Amino acid sequence: MSDISYPLVRRGATSGVAYYLRVLRVIGAIDFKARYADAALGYVWSLAKPLAYFGVLWLVFAHLLRTANQTGNFALFLLIGILLYTFFVDAVTVMLPSIVHGGAILRRLAFPPILIPLSASVSVFFTFCANVSALVIFVAVQKVAPRAEWLLVVPLLAELYVFCLSVGLLLAALYVRFRDIGQVWELASQLLFFASAIFYPVGILPNWAQRVAFLNPFVQVMQDIRHIVLGGASGPNDVTAAKVYADAGGRLIPIAIVAVVFLGALALFRREGRYFPERI
Amino acid sequence: MAAAIEVVGVSKTFRIPHEQRIYVKEYFLHPLRRTTYEPNEALKDVTFSVGSGEFLGVVGPNGSGKSTLLRILAGIYVPDSGRVRVNGLLSPFIELGVGFNPQLNARDNIRINGTLAGLSKRELEEKFDQIVAFAELERFVDQKLKNYSSGMLVRLAYSIAIQIPFDILLLDEVLAVGDESFQEKCFATFDRFKEEAKTIVFVSHQLDMMSRFCDRVLLLQNGHVGAIGSPDDVVDVYREHVLVG
Repeated sequence: MSDISYPLVRRGATSGVAYYLRVLRVIGAIDFKARYADAALGYVWSLAKPLAYFGVLWLVFAHLLRTANQTGNFALFLLIGILLYTFFVDAVTVMLPSIVHGGAILRRLAFPPILIPLSASVSVFFTFCANVSALVIFVAVQKVAPRAEWLLVVPLLAELYVFCLSVGLLLAALYVRFRDIGQVWELASQLLFFASAIFYPVGILPNWAQRVAFLNPFVQVMQDIRHIVLGGASGPNDVTAAKVYADAGGRLIPIAIVAVVFLGALALFRREGRYFPERI
Repeated sequence: MAAAIEVVGVSKTFRIPHEQRIYVKEYFLHPLRRTTYEPNEALKDVTFSVGSGEFLGVVGPNGSGKSTLLRILAGIYVPDSGRVRVNGLLSPFIELGVGFNPQLNARDNIRINGTLAGLSKRELEEKFDQIVAFAELERFVDQKLKNYSSGMLVRLAYSIAIQIPFDILLLDEVLAVGDESFQEKCFATFDRFKEEAKTIVFVSHQLDMMSRFCDRVLLLQNGHVGAIGSPDDVVDVYREHVLVG
């Protein structure tokens, strides 16, 4: 057995909530700036990507296939789904290789390794916040009246962020051992796009498939946000976890999954993290 | 003299795979093939202590475990067995060129390194100019590090390491790539740290520096403590038994 002890004063300098928040703010801001510094159009690119998705899907499904008939405000319905999906996938995609590619500093300084993927996610969150402002403009143009209920979006976004972090941490730790995880995630993120009712109403799925779809916390958050923002406007396909799992306990299933994945990711990081400097 | 660092019976073995399997495919294609490992005993039952205010030199041939020892002291590697006790704030200068982001400028790298090392925003603002001034990089502070020479990198890394408040400084080959003027600057800081009773663990291949600065020297040989004692004695042992063979 080994035993390493440092005095309290050192632990105080590189631990605690204030230290974590300081590191996340500093690295997140530097990452955000660096991400767009060398691109001629800078931040515009991060908005262009979801808008391009939106444009193509809107054209195909609202005009060519007429799916829009099934949902009240298809444009807003689609934009919410795409922005949330882009955030989720981008956050996990930057966290996944962060230890292997950016973890060299762990070989020089002793600090909690979890800070590397966490700080990688921060700049994606900043981008998401900026993109949400585009959504707000869209909502204003659509003349959807704001309601107090919309404040419930904030805890839902918090739930989505925790889920992003959980999946990102899990994959980042596994990627140190298995480099296949990169390809697996690339495929999984594509499948997620088609499987999670981003561009079609979840209500068109058979009941059993809806129950499976809502096991994914991303679907639960997206549908809850759509329900809150669009109100009853999304018609008979306005389906949320509360409706699919009719009993109150079932409503908690996706949230319980977030909690389990989060705790699992933390436990894995705790076990593996101390050996990252040797393995990367 | 109270001990700043106590190391008791520390061992560390790395398992070097004969064939690295990092893709799941390799497990499926060869399910029965077991990955075999070559154990590399980097440190074997190492015991020593460093007194508060002591300047301890560490010498040894390449691969003798010097950098592993420093990483264990810094809390970067976890020893397999043994006990390490560090009493005081510690600042490491380990493995040059590692840990900086070459795509970022010096300003951002200083902010990231300083913050990770525990400096608050105010402390960092206070120290920033001193870090840049000591490293003599005022003109290059907004240049990306990928355009820096190894000499500029070592100046930056050393400058950051000594501006973080510390009681104990770990130095791994700080003099290896710097020019003469940087070496002179390092020597001046060594003298100052000695006056301030800082504890220094100093790894170097420059044996004449051991007698000049160190109170004691530790010789590492194949992961063992080969000798520990006065600089002249240990350097003699090193020259006679290890370098000559």
